[in-house]
Amino acid sequence: MDNYIIEMLGITKMFPGIIANDNITLQLKKGEIHALLGENGAGKSTLMSVLFGLYQPEYGEIRKNGEVVNINNPNDANDLGIGMVHQHFKLVEIFTVLENIILGVEPNKAGFLQKSEARKKVVELSEKYGLSVDPDAYVEEITVGMQQRAEILKMLYRDNEILIFDEPTAVLTPQEIREILQIMKGFAKEGKSILFITHKLNEIMEVADRCTVLRKGKYIGTVDIEDTTKEELSKMMVGRDISFKVKKEKSKPKEIVLSVENLTVPSKIHKNNAVKNVSFNIKAGEIVCLAGIDGNGQTELVNALTGLEKASSGTIRLKERDITRDNIRKRSASGMSHIPEDRHKHGLVLEYKLEENLVLQRYWQKEFQKGGFIKFDNVRKYANRLIKEYDIRSGQGPVTIVRSMSGGNQQKAIIAREIDKEHELLIAVQPTRGLDVGAIEYVHNQLIKTRDAGKAVFLVSLELEEVLNVSDRILVIYEGEIVGELDPKETTPEELGLYMSGAKRNTGKEANDGK
Amino acid sequence: MDTIYYLFQNMLPVAISLLLVALGGMFSEIGGIINIALEGIMLFGAFIAALFVYSVQGTDMSPQTILLLGMVVAAISGLIYSLLLSFAAVTMKADQVITGTSLNMLIPAAILLFAKMFFGSDGITTNVNFYIREVHILGKIPVIGKLFFQNTYLTVMIGLVFLVIAVIIFYRTKFGLRLRACGEHPHAADSVGINVHKMRYAGASISGILAGIGGFFYSVGITDGNVNGHTGVAGFGFLALAVMIFGQWKPMRIFFGALFFAFLRTLAYSVSLIPFLSNLGIDQTYYKMLPYFATMIVLAFTSKKSRAPKAEGIPYDKSQR
Amino acid sequence: MENKNDLQIKKFKFKNITDNAGFSSFASAMMAIFFGLVFGFIVMLVASPPNAVAGMKYIILGGLGRLGDVFYFATPILMTGLAVGFAFKMGLFNIGASGQYTMGMFFALYVGFMWDMPDSIHWIVAILSGMVGGMLWGLIPGIFKAFLNVNEVITSIMFNYIGMYLVDMLIKGNGTMYKSTTTRTNYLPLESQIPSLGITGTNVNLGIIFAVLIGVIIYIILQKTTFGYELKATGFNKFASEYAGMKGKTNIILTMAIAGGFAGLGGAFAILAPSGISGSSMTYEPINMIASAGFDGIAVALLGSSHPIGIIFSAIFISYIKRGGTLTSLVGYKPEIIDVVIAVIIYFSAFAAIMNSGLSRIIKSRFKNKELSHIEEDEPETTVKSKDDNTKEEE
Repeated sequence: MDNYIIEMLGITKMFPGIIANDNITLQLKKGEIHALLGENGAGKSTLMSVLFGLYQPEYGEIRKNGEVVNINNPNDANDLGIGMVHQHFKLVEIFTVLENIILGVEPNKAGFLQKSEARKKVVELSEKYGLSVDPDAYVEEITVGMQQRAEILKMLYRDNEILIFDEPTAVLTPQEIREILQIMKGFAKEGKSILFITHKLNEIMEVADRCTVLRKGKYIGTVDIEDTTKEELSKMMVGRDISFKVKKEKSKPKEIVLSVENLTVPSKIHKNNAVKNVSFNIKAGEIVCLAGIDGNGQTELVNALTGLEKASSGTIRLKERDITRDNIRKRSASGMSHIPEDRHKHGLVLEYKLEENLVLQRYWQKEFQKGGFIKFDNVRKYANRLIKEYDIRSGQGPVTIVRSMSGGNQQKAIIAREIDKEHELLIAVQPTRGLDVGAIEYVHNQLIKTRDAGKAVFLVSLELEEVLNVSDRILVIYEGEIVGELDPKETTPEELGLYMSGAKRNTGKEANDGK
Repeated sequence: MDTIYYLFQNMLPVAISLLLVALGGMFSEIGGIINIALEGIMLFGAFIAALFVYSVQGTDMSPQTILLLGMVVAAISGLIYSLLLSFAAVTMKADQVITGTSLNMLIPAAILLFAKMFFGSDGITTNVNFYIREVHILGKIPVIGKLFFQNTYLTVMIGLVFLVIAVIIFYRTKFGLRLRACGEHPHAADSVGINVHKMRYAGASISGILAGIGGFFYSVGITDGNVNGHTGVAGFGFLALAVMIFGQWKPMRIFFGALFFAFLRTLAYSVSLIPFLSNLGIDQTYYKMLPYFATMIVLAFTSKKSRAPKAEGIPYDKSQR
Repeated sequence: MENKNDLQIKKFKFKNITDNAGFSSFASAMMAIFFGLVFGFIVMLVASPPNAVAGMKYIILGGLGRLGDVFYFATPILMTGLAVGFAFKMGLFNIGASGQYTMGMFFALYVGFMWDMPDSIHWIVAILSGMVGGMLWGLIPGIFKAFLNVNEVITSIMFNYIGMYLVDMLIKGNGTMYKSTTTRTNYLPLESQIPSLGITGTNVNLGIIFAVLIGVIIYIILQKTTFGYELKATGFNKFASEYAGMKGKTNIILTMAIAGGFAGLGGAFAILAPSGISGSSMTYEPINMIASAGFDGIAVALLGSSHPIGIIFSAIFISYIKRGGTLTSLVGYKPEIIDVVIAVIIYFSAFAAIMNSGLSRIIKSRFKNKELSHIEEDEPETTVKSKDDNTKEEE
């Protein structure tokens, strides 16, 4: 009989109209690292939220050390020694690290905060586990890695024994990833039990003891890592064999489409510039990928290119025409297409119908309006064509309210709109974020098709695999500067990681000449 | 010199009323609820407290006792009325601005209705004199005595005490920390086991208490005990919101904002007493508009970089994580 | 992935009445009205128990006998309702309709009294200048919002006060317009009054026709034009509208100016009206009070779900119960009872919509859950995904 510290048996969690978890079983042994694997939307986060008391399941029970427990809120979870590092950190930005750590379990005398003893404990813990964080720094002013350490300290401060890590490596450099995996191993050695949520197979192979796989809300199975392979895991996760490689021809770059010279963009968050004196160009028929860790100026760079933000200096040329001072509409009309980073915030009007969203960039053109009145017949015809050509699936075709569509099809709608519009340059920012494998393949193929049609493609990505597989040329951005230009065929994830973390740099020229 | 003393003594009751209401707005907003109903809550508190004063005036209760009891009455009524806002905003997840607007409209109409039916007038006028000519001993202190302890109301002292309490709650207590977390990042608060709904009710309730008291103090210090449905509290609830934004949701800065606005208003109503201004011959109406103009100018300069609680105005929905 | 046929079958099954946006906003309006009237009844019961039933009867049926007045009083609040509703579509809360209304009224009065012009066009010019006055007062909060990021709610409120003080001062200082013995404005010269519709004994005039026409025009603008498309897109998602290259700032200013223009027209329609007694006209008393028409407009807009056609009907409804409300004084109540009712209606319409959608969600989810077990296993996957996307949107 195995000694399980936590068992989740037959858990079913429904949301209005959705079964997010369907009869799922998860058993965690004491002192093990147990990976929870699944695609986006497989129900991993929901299951962990159930364990953490954020959701109550409709069916099923949770046991700790064999005894049934009720977890109605995070306090209950905490009392049972369960702690969680959320994928999106749950930190109050205007508070200090210390304030965030003690929030909810504040040491107090008659309601008055007693911070000094808390500080002592935090300092001790961070020294013990090598988690260097300044307890008095404000969260908004520290790096993502430090924020994560603050989250880990939050669990340790509460003396949690069962630690849940929800996609902890998503925002880190390869080097930082190695560090966090080591930290997790250390915790396991100390007897803490760890649930590690991820969809990255390499990491599972590296640290996990066992792995439970979910797919589409259902339990697929639990395997010992020693007895399995990456391929087997991926098959369990996706339900079919998938190729990790993207099929594409060698690129044939032609004339320069976008040229950026000495571009500087001020930051809205801090006083320094977010993009510092950056120069590069993109040619027709190639996919150039901007790699880097989140928050190193990618957003600002793209915003400056598309006109959402103003650059403080430098020039942007599209097809040899200076567009630095043009507004968004003008840039779009002169051949710039943009698949935005956040499809809900920027890319779509969720309350609008699909057809209305498909003309979001073109409703003002002659084809769709006359004297200020929209030609709805043409809009419908156009929408029907795109829906067919780009295989956009929805409940009611062109009149579907976009909010009710799945994430993958929403993204397809944006891609259809941006690619079908007349353009020379396609800027795609994290176009596969939050999509499942099928949709990711679709997006990659569309990008390559666009390239093969002789357009220039500028891809901004945080996923190393995507960077290496899809691009023809890699630019690495670090702290607002382009620190390296690499050939995807000749570089490795490790080398890329060194550039991304600022440990290594070259100028574009050297890279080309040197190799 | 006497003019300055006069202005200062007249400014304080105005400032205190604004201060309390603005602090109320602050407590509501740092918890995440936009409280545009301050105006209505003030008027409700003032009216119920005036009813109380009306019912006890003429007995041998001393004026200052009546004032303290009236304050309690106003606080309770403000609290109760604010529950309508909390219920809509927190439990029903309704639009907070629209709800607040309706609460602002309800009270003047209700007051007019009842006052016309039962008093045959637009409102209610009490005739207890809460004025303090001079506080014993303290009033004799040079300068300070004249500024703070002569020709004043008890409300000023009470208001300053509330300010100190507010500062302590805001920075030093567990409650303050949790409340601010709820207005800034309710999901974070929830994830560490804080009941966001309860905290938001608490924040809005404190604002109800303070706005109720502020309304009563307004009627005591500014309108001589008259509370009516026509003029209400003359937009003080809205000015308090501006003071709160000006104060960047921080108690001490709100205090200075309140002093600034109170000064403008006092100036506007004392033009005839200040030879220099009255000689200019500008219509007094312009001075009356001054606080509202000042609000606009202040907001124009502060809004670009103002940092409101991040989650304010957004109903907290657990499942929408 | 999804099986298209399955989805369609499902959609057909769920095509119940709650799916219909028009129906659900009508239902929530009805609910809000119901709560408002019930509350009004309770208030009347508290105030004077024996008369409550009679009072309620007046409120509900009293307007029938005075339909002409119903339409006259509906005119200004229809316009302020449009002023609020139009801005709502853009995601702006125009609480300043009162000030815009007052400004419009003043401009109309000024032109009506002070300008010399041919009789046939005098009233038209007066109406148009009312619109200009309102636009001006909507424009300023619009500019503050667009360029300085100042919340339009506070600006509008400040401008309500400023406008009110300003207009009262200007009117009192003008001997032609103001008659100090009555403390009201004078009767307007006949040629600057809006032609009456000729129904004797009431004030009803051409204004209501104009107002309804304007409502219909707005409907067309919102539904059929690129401007309407941009406006609604901005209201739903200002980031997406910016991304699509729409001129957000210009549109904010334009929307506020147009909304202000509507409210200003409301003021003009109200004050340029001939009164029931021949030769006289409506007058205004400057007593430093903020015009209630603006706040009534909020109720009108909310009840009408900011839909121009809905606003036409809700304006008539509000005016109708207001007429009934004045009659309650026959049994000892005061007209303010209706203001109480209106406030309560607004309170409930703020969350009636949510209650309603909550209700329909529950109904739908019940159906859907039952069916889920029968449909393809693909279904939960896609929907779960969209939930995950929401998470991302949050951060």
